[in-house]
Amino acid sequence: MTDPTPTSTSTTWPWIVMAVAGLVTFVASMTVSPDAVQGQLSRIMYVHVPSAWLAYLAFIVTMAASAMYLWKRDLKWDRRAAASAEIGVVFTGMALGLGMIWAKPTWGVWWTWDARLTLTSIMFFIYLGYLALRRTTDDLDVRARRAAILGVLAVVQVPLVHFSVEWWRTLHQPATLLRPEGPEMATSMLVTLLIAVMAFTVMYVAMMFKRIELARLEDAVLIAEQASDGAVAGAAVTTPTIGRGTA
Amino acid sequence: MGFFSQARLITSRDLVRERRSGEVLWVTLPFGAIALLLVPMAIGTDAPLLEQVGTGLFWAIVMLFGVLISIRQTTGETQAQRDQLALTGIDAAAIYVGRATASFVLLVIFEVVLGLVTIVLYDVPVSGWWLVPILITIVAAGLSLLGTLAASIVSTGRNAAALVPLLVAPLSIPLLIGATQALEVLDLGGSSLAWVLMMIVSTLVLAVAGVLSARPLQEI
Amino acid sequence: MGPTTQRGIRTLPPVISDEPLIHLASVSVRAGATHILRDLDLDVRAGEALGVHGANGAGKTTLLRLAATLIRPSSGSGTVLGASLNSESRYDVRHRIGYVGHVPGLYPELTLRENLEFTADAHSIDHTAVASALDMVGLGAASDRQADRCSHGMQRRAEFARVLMTTPAVLLLDEPHSALDADAVDLVDAIVERTTASGGAAVLVSHDRERVSRVADRFVEISAGGVA
Repeated sequence: MTDPTPTSTSTTWPWIVMAVAGLVTFVASMTVSPDAVQGQLSRIMYVHVPSAWLAYLAFIVTMAASAMYLWKRDLKWDRRAAASAEIGVVFTGMALGLGMIWAKPTWGVWWTWDARLTLTSIMFFIYLGYLALRRTTDDLDVRARRAAILGVLAVVQVPLVHFSVEWWRTLHQPATLLRPEGPEMATSMLVTLLIAVMAFTVMYVAMMFKRIELARLEDAVLIAEQASDGAVAGAAVTTPTIGRGTA
Repeated sequence: MGFFSQARLITSRDLVRERRSGEVLWVTLPFGAIALLLVPMAIGTDAPLLEQVGTGLFWAIVMLFGVLISIRQTTGETQAQRDQLALTGIDAAAIYVGRATASFVLLVIFEVVLGLVTIVLYDVPVSGWWLVPILITIVAAGLSLLGTLAASIVSTGRNAAALVPLLVAPLSIPLLIGATQALEVLDLGGSSLAWVLMMIVSTLVLAVAGVLSARPLQEI
Repeated sequence: MGPTTQRGIRTLPPVISDEPLIHLASVSVRAGATHILRDLDLDVRAGEALGVHGANGAGKTTLLRLAATLIRPSSGSGTVLGASLNSESRYDVRHRIGYVGHVPGLYPELTLRENLEFTADAHSIDHTAVASALDMVGLGAASDRQADRCSHGMQRRAEFARVLMTTPAVLLLDEPHSALDADAVDLVDAIVERTTASGGAAVLVSHDRERVSRVADRFVEISAGGVA
């Protein structure tokens, strides 16, 4: 994907795509029959699961773009990495929030130490740290290099955490800690879920386009502010207006 | 001067500086001990409950406060000191290894002392003690490598001292889970090998990442 | 305190070179999008002492740090002691560069002697050179004092002791006379003359042009990001 060129008239198709994708998800999730056990609450799954999927996808893209930046040293890769990480953090938060909303009436608690949930929350904080790191400097190259190193390192930790929490859950196998497996998913629900996942993936692409477009504009503004009409930094220092005998 | 000689030079310098300043032994260590003291006041001083949570709480305190030990030299360094260090010609990777080694030594001391405090305050059961030195060593190694690397990444940026712990804490999860579960699985009659191996893999990944990124990070 | 015996201080053979020891060609240094130095050309030859002056914020310190290989040019090319500033070979010459910034870079918890011993070990220099160097700058009696208990002027003297000990081929001094008392200002001249006499090059950034003219062969002014 090439970076969108910032123009005075921003592109509108991503908004349309996002709206359509959202509408498709909404319609699909509202028209499918509810789960026999969970009832209407099961409809949360059609947003929760795609959100989590999108988060994983986003962070993998961040890792890949970060690696490309370290190789090519082209800031377009840094913009892509950052855009993807931002989207990933938003959807990770959504997945966590929706999961908690679903868990309270189902399990009676907002939170359990389910492996998936725990891993997702850890990922959330890791990439919050990534975004915080990007705010530590206005120098684009320094920011990009720091973020790229963390972007590559952070994803390596994810499978390590993934397996550790899987083993952790396995070791705490007693029935008091694990909820029973639900019934196998009906075809209609599976299809709806797949539609939602595809819609969210398309939404991700559209969001990436807009976010990268915005990032290019932000960088252009930053560069313009710093460039000071082409003057060198020292031009901002002038002769003092007071001196001996003028006080 | 060879790579390991350079690293040893950095390690001895850092340890001498710590011996003079006493930051770890006289500030961070007591702070960790106070944290162990505060928790029972917050959750209740029910002895069986404290015995149950004591081990996990110990490792959590080690992770949260230990990061302050591993980042102290890097985040406290001035630009002038960084410049002079760069001009010594010492390899950036040797600087990383040397700093992490110094932090490792201090973290081992930190963990041992805090461990004794935990035993006293929480009356944790004495099982699987042969594993404890192994876990202390691996956690100290992993945390020192992670903290040194994270501090180098953040370096001179804004909010560096506050940001580094935010980066380190979630990335230290494999060490935390491994340490807690390695001991707990022994109580269940299982083998800790998988947990220990996971911790070792995490530590090796950090070591490789730190060495490979040392030179690019020196210029930031 | 005048000069003392120079035991342990090595005397390197003179650097004989037709090529400039510092060569900068159309070098620019940017911080973000702001130019600090722009299209700067500068050569400093073996045996030469160059004085650099300019207004506050002109980029003089940046020029020194560039020549010290501590920062890379954003564009343009340059070499220091034959090593390109854009390649990894610049790491190989760092130990031959002496840089005294306007802020001391000593470790506060270490004594003056320990600070220099650290540098000596890194350069594989015998520790006898440390005592000699500290004596030469008049800090022999204060060598076991922790750096954070020394005045700014004492710390500067210690940094000059460091460069005396390492005998760099390229000497870079930023406001070298600041914080030095009347006894110590001649120290700067002595260090510069030792460096240039052995075929090295020295660059002194200073607002005290009269003082620097005692050792400088020529002057350049940094203005508008380049050499005026």
